[in-house]
Amino acid sequence: MDWLSAVSLDGLAAVDFRWLGLVLELILMPLIAFVVGLGLVLMLRKIAARLQRRVGPPLLQPLWDIIKLHAKETQTSHGLIHEIGIVMAIGGYVAAVTLLPVPGMNGLAAQGGLIALLYMTMIPSLGLALGVGQCANPNGSIGISRALTAMLAYDVPMVIVIFGVAFHFGSLNLVYLIAAQQAGGIATWGIVQMPLLALAGLFALQGMLGKQPFEIYVAPAEIATGPMVEMGGKFLGGLFVMQCFQLYTAGVLYVALFLGGGENWLTFLFKVFVVTAIPMTIAMVFPRYRTEDMVRLFWKWPTMIGLLGIAFVMN
Amino acid sequence: MTHIDQVPTPGAPRPVEIGVKPGTKRTNPFARVFDELVRFAQSRSLFMLHYCTGCGAVELPPAMTSRFDMERLGIQPMVSPRQADILLITGYVSVKTLKRVILTYEQMNSPKYVIGICSCTVNGGMYWQSYATAKKLNDYMPVDIYIAGCMPRPEAVIEGLRGLIENIRTGRADAWKDYYRRYDHYLGNQQRLFGADWQTPTDVIAEARHYDLFGPATLGAHTALLEQHQRPLEALEMRIEIPELMRRRSRSDQGGTAQ
Repeated sequence: MDWLSAVSLDGLAAVDFRWLGLVLELILMPLIAFVVGLGLVLMLRKIAARLQRRVGPPLLQPLWDIIKLHAKETQTSHGLIHEIGIVMAIGGYVAAVTLLPVPGMNGLAAQGGLIALLYMTMIPSLGLALGVGQCANPNGSIGISRALTAMLAYDVPMVIVIFGVAFHFGSLNLVYLIAAQQAGGIATWGIVQMPLLALAGLFALQGMLGKQPFEIYVAPAEIATGPMVEMGGKFLGGLFVMQCFQLYTAGVLYVALFLGGGENWLTFLFKVFVVTAIPMTIAMVFPRYRTEDMVRLFWKWPTMIGLLGIAFVMN
Repeated sequence: MTHIDQVPTPGAPRPVEIGVKPGTKRTNPFARVFDELVRFAQSRSLFMLHYCTGCGAVELPPAMTSRFDMERLGIQPMVSPRQADILLITGYVSVKTLKRVILTYEQMNSPKYVIGICSCTVNGGMYWQSYATAKKLNDYMPVDIYIAGCMPRPEAVIEGLRGLIENIRTGRADAWKDYYRRYDHYLGNQQRLFGADWQTPTDVIAEARHYDLFGPATLGAHTALLEQHQRPLEALEMRIEIPELMRRRSRSDQGGTAQ
């Protein structure tokens, strides 16, 4: 911004223009997240298709889906909260994305930290609960109660993992975490230093993305996709956008915690796509667990593995 | 209650011109580009609600799975009418089933397309003489494409879907507007079959007004009959039925009467 300070008057020379860069980052980061998220959705559908020996959707299929849903000519709204719920669902992830550092852009990551990020990733579920509540569809209510129970289940190992990583590096600042991992090469990556926590994190990731076997709250054949049952047109379109952000957030968070973030965009995107491909590949070979079995599983195995990992970290 | 004989017989369907109303011609050259993009997206992404009533449902799994893979064309199954674009009727519709099909159709968001698979939806097929079967599906709702055959092979199903995709891309698949513009005709046929007090939860006339799809034949003798019987929809009473609680309550009620 040298030329700006050069043309400004002497009195204004001291004005700081760095906030302009920050605003640009806050606009760019969600946009990039959305585009990468579209790619992740396409990859998931392609993996599912390949595992079922199908060809799968064409390249721009996720984009066509979203355009088509927003272009519906009649929209069935069930009231104001229904619409605000969808805005909260997307908004929570947009806020979360600005807290995740990507190569070249830190956004609010240094100011926010892991705790704020954890809060932000919970807002979409709550927003969805509000929106679904106003639809007054019994299938939706059952679905969202299961989704919130699932959140309760996977958040216990998730918090343990995040606490363990923060304790290991002695910081809650994601920018510092990534810098510390990148400084020492692969040997200092979270996954090498804390393999047990990385394993527990992978469990939590499966639950966070709601993939089989932890997919009971969607259950299309049983409760007609649960929370999404009354969502048509722009509402479903909003949820498709949310799914893009959700996959991106989960993938980037795991990469930042355990795989040393991204040195450049190439390695960063490669890591994100690989990490997100793991839950999808596991999902396609599983049926789904019931809610109580899911809670039992999450509070037993990943929690135990995570606690063991913390014991190693604290030594 | 009106007797069934008092329902006037719907006459031959009056042709209604479908398209942009005169006087609303768009001047913005980019509007056309945007419309074409939207139409292309609509043709490349179709969510399908299959109402599997008859034998034609057997031909859908091969069309959807690895042999023919509908997802190549952007078609994927959905489970709720709110999310769906295509209503797929696979086979004969009995009078009871047809009620549910119409409820489902009216809950879908426009633009919506109906596909009738198998000859039973075209003219009753082998159920022609049945007293309990609706013969022609397009008497009761506008059908975009019929795929004839008993049953059509998956290749024929895919071919029919491709035809629908082409119609959507070129803007010819607007049969759903016909349901609003000639609601009186469709409602009349429905009343002949289900009785004069037939009513669905969706207020089609209000929707036609709201979305500016009101046509010259939206209102008529049959909608007048509907207005006579129409009861305003009320929210269902919310009640939690826990067996143990109810047993205890009934026991305390009995105790109360004994005293």
